[in-house]
Parts: sequence; structure tokens; C-alpha cells
Amino acid sequence: MKIRTRLNVLAVCIMVGMCWSGRELLKSYEQHRDIQTQIDEILDLRGTIVFLDLNSFDPKLSTVLKEKRRQLGTSKRAELVSNIIQAYNEQDPKIMRQRIYQFLKTDEKSYQRALQSLASADKQVKTFASITLGFPLMGLLLLMFLVRSHLFKSLERLNRRMMDFLVDRYSFQFTEPENNEIGAIQRTFNSLAQRVINNMDELKSLDQAKSDFLSIASHELRTPMTSIKGSLSLLTNGVMGKLEPQAEKLLRIAEMETDRLIRLINDLLDLAKIEAGKFPLAGAWVSWDETVLKTNQSLLGLSSTAKVNLYAAPTPHLEVFIDRDRMQQILTNLISNAVKFSPDGGTVYIEVGRTGNGELLVQVRDEGVGIAHEDQELIFQKFRQSSSPENPIVKGTGLGLTIARALVEEHGGTIGVASEKGKGATFYFTLPKWRDAYGSSPEAIREAA
Amino acid sequence: MKILLAEDDSNVSLITQLCLERIGGHSVTIATDGALALAAAQAEQFDLIILDGMMPKLSGLEVAKELIRLGLNKTPIIFLSAKSEEKDVQQFLSVGTGYIAKPFDPQTICASIDAILKNKAVG
Repeated sequence: MKIRTRLNVLAVCIMVGMCWSGRELLKSYEQHRDIQTQIDEILDLRGTIVFLDLNSFDPKLSTVLKEKRRQLGTSKRAELVSNIIQAYNEQDPKIMRQRIYQFLKTDEKSYQRALQSLASADKQVKTFASITLGFPLMGLLLLMFLVRSHLFKSLERLNRRMMDFLVDRYSFQFTEPENNEIGAIQRTFNSLAQRVINNMDELKSLDQAKSDFLSIASHELRTPMTSIKGSLSLLTNGVMGKLEPQAEKLLRIAEMETDRLIRLINDLLDLAKIEAGKFPLAGAWVSWDETVLKTNQSLLGLSSTAKVNLYAAPTPHLEVFIDRDRMQQILTNLISNAVKFSPDGGTVYIEVGRTGNGELLVQVRDEGVGIAHEDQELIFQKFRQSSSPENPIVKGTGLGLTIARALVEEHGGTIGVASEKGKGATFYFTLPKWRDAYGSSPEAIREAA
Repeated sequence: MKILLAEDDSNVSLITQLCLERIGGHSVTIATDGALALAAAQAEQFDLIILDGMMPKLSGLEVAKELIRLGLNKTPIIFLSAKSEEKDVQQFLSVGTGYIAKPFDPQTICASIDAILKNKAVG
């Protein structure tokens, strides 16, 4: 049954009960009052009779008595009073006394009877008064019981169902809703849950489709690139015989552009993987200097062609918690950018410092053309490059900084750039987890502060 | 060195063969799918087997597992694959000696092979 119906039934019961007992209370009160009046009359009459002056026989009192006699109607008491009046009028004290005595004897009986009725009427009044008061109290108790057993328990059950869904939506069991107002809420919740589950299934299959696409795309894109790159390389390196200088130059161009295309494919796939959350970091404590050294070694070809020096400030004993391959990818992106924008004979500095809150601050500084203020946020977006590199040795894919940013964020850090047009640029990023042999760490620094 | 190269893409296999023969001076036998590669490896003794990761009939991984099951695990196996995801690479390295990512540089493939084999000899 609905909770509202139960409440209505309860209210009607209480109201009907209160009306009935109220009416009874009123009735017994009126009865009580009537009996009280009767008793007053008896006492009044008795007083008048007892205090009759048997010496003077005041005729005025005879009139009073007659009046009272008239009110009594016809009864044994009335008759006795008539007798007294008669004797009073005859002014015979002896007979008077006799008759008064007779009257008092009878009167006492009716007085006692009246007192008894008064007592029982009194009891009745008290009983109905308690019942009338009792109904709302009982109603209150019933209301509390109803609220507890139906409303609160249903709400608790519903809450538990919702929690179950929160904890584990896959093994969520749909139950038949209760047949009350809370049941209506549960029904709504069930539909919501169903919709959430459907949406999740849909998302899952979309996610799977994306993964499949990435996997197929990487295979299908890389296989032909292997053939192209391989053919070009064999030709340009004279493995298949000597070539005309012009033809060789053309092939070198094709080879360079192929390399660029391969980098673009790799960057795009990396970015897609990072964005799909399929790029789990393999974090470990590794030496910072070693990581930088390896990166710089892999960039030696690029930097020597561009006639740019790489200078890494030594930080012995510094260890960082990173995925080394990914960190090398970040550094490669930042350093190769710096090299590309450096003038001949310039230097790219790789330095390490600390941020205000104790994080490691890695900076890659160049002496190049700098980046205009309005471009500084733009260059981290996909396919955005600062205009006119003066030293276009290796054309970028426009994805390097986007990937670097994503990877830095995966490491829990932030990336940014500080630069002024014409005064070089400093790319920096933070790393939250580091330590050194002297017992220094972000925690230690924060504590000291 | 006698090398068995299993690669289903004929362009890739031709170029790889040229690289290995002209630059590295190896002799190369080509198998165009996993099943043929398995048959060739059983029929003849090679110094090195290079397997493409994705091939029709049997994948490179399956061929390698089958060879190990048959006890033909003396010949080192190097995988050649366009799949570069962490879990794929780990799978390759769990059954093979090495892994070379596609697209590879023809100039360096012979050096890479030598490095992998030398590493193995040291290990």
C-alpha cells in the first residue's frame, strides 16, 4: 500500500475517534452538571426546611416553600414537602417536627443516590477526557512507527541499492521496486542506471574500435613506409650502383621527406595513444645525468650538422622517478627544437633547478630568435609552429611540443616557455618526484620551508 | 650468415633481402607466410631467423613459439614489426632474441642485427 494511503487512513481513524470520544465527553459532562444542579437543589431545599423558625412561623417562608414545592412536581418528596407546608401553615410545632423528620429521612436517601450518580458521572468525564487526549497521542506513535518502518526503511534500502551501483555497476542487480512512493523513485533510478550501463557499453566498444584503429593504422602506415625508405636508402647509398648527381639529389630530397613523414606518423600514433590513455608510464628511479647524456648522444648528429653545442649542467647524485624512454622523448623534442632555432655556433643549455614548492625544474635554454608572446601558448597546440625558423635543417611535425606536454603531464608535471622575441627561449617543465644522495627531496624541502 | 626472412609483403622482403645481401653480405632465403617459414626452418639449418610480426596463416609470434616447442630453439630469432606498443614488444622479446621496429633504416639494419647477436653472445 502507498505510504500516502496509510497516512490518510491513520488521519481519518484518529479524527473519527476524537469526534466520538469528544461527543461522549460532552454528554457525560452535561450529565455531571445536571446531577450537580440536582444536588444543589436538594441541599437548598433541605437548608430552607431545616432552618424554618418554629417560633415565629414567618408567612414569607411559607411562600418560598410553596414555590420550591411547585418545582418538585409530583413525587414522594413533593408530597412530604406539601405536608410540611400544611403543618407550617397550621403553626403546629409538634407535627412540624414530625414531618420534617420524615422528610429528612427520605431526602437523605435521594441525596446519597445523587452523590453516587455524581461520582459515576465524574468518572465518566475523566475517562472520556483521557480517551480524547489519548487519540492524538496514539496517532503520533502510529505515525512514528509508520515513518520508521515504511519511509525510513524504504529510503535506506533505496540508498543501499544506489551505493551498490556506485561500487560495482557491472554486477548491479535490478530489483522489483516496492509498491509505494519510494518504489517510484527506485523505478526512476533503475531507468537511469540502465541508461548509464548502456552508455558505458557503448563507450567501451567505441574505445575498443579506437584501439583497433590505432593498431591497424600503425601497421598499414608503417609497412609501405618501410619499402619506400628502404628503396630510397639503397639507391642513395649507391648500393645499387652509381647515380647521376642530380638524380641522387632528388632521391635525397625524397628520403628526407620520407623521414619526416615517418616522424609524423610516429608522433600522430603516439599522440593518439596518449590521448586514448593507452600509454602507461613505466616509472623507475633513474639517474638524471644519464638520461640527459643518452638523449644528447642521440641528438649528436642533429646538433653537429646545425653547428650547435649542447651543454648539460652536471647534477651528480640526482635521481628522478620517470619513464626513461618517455623522458628522452620529452627532452629530444625540447632539445631538437632548441637546436633548430639556434644560430650557428650557439649553445643549448640543459639545466636543473627547483620550483618554489620543491619540485624539480628542468630548463632547456637556447640563444635563438625567441618566441613572440602571442605564440607562446599556441605552439603547444597540434600542428602549430612558430613562424619562420631561421635554420630549417629538420622540419618538424608540429606535434613535438603537444606530445611533450602530454608526457610531462603524465609524469605529474607542468610545461611552459619563457621567451622574448630576439632573446632566445627557455622551455621548462617540472617533475614532482626526485631525490639526491644528500637526502634532499621535495618532501624534505617542503618540511624545511 | 644464412638468414631465413619471413615477410608477407613482397616489397618489404625484397628490400630487406637487398640490404642484408648487399650491405651485410649475408645469404637470404625468403618465406612469404608463417607456415612456409616454419617448414623452411624445419627443413634447413639457418644462422638467423627474421620474422615479421604480422603474417597470414601463422603470425611471427606463433612461428617462434612453434619452433621452441619443436626444440628448434638454437637459431636466434629477431622480430620485425610495425607494432610498437609496449605489450607487443614485450611479447616479442619473451620468445625472440631481439626486435627491430618498422620502418627500419636499411643502412642500420645489419648493424642492429650484429648488435643483437653480439648482446646475446655476451648474455
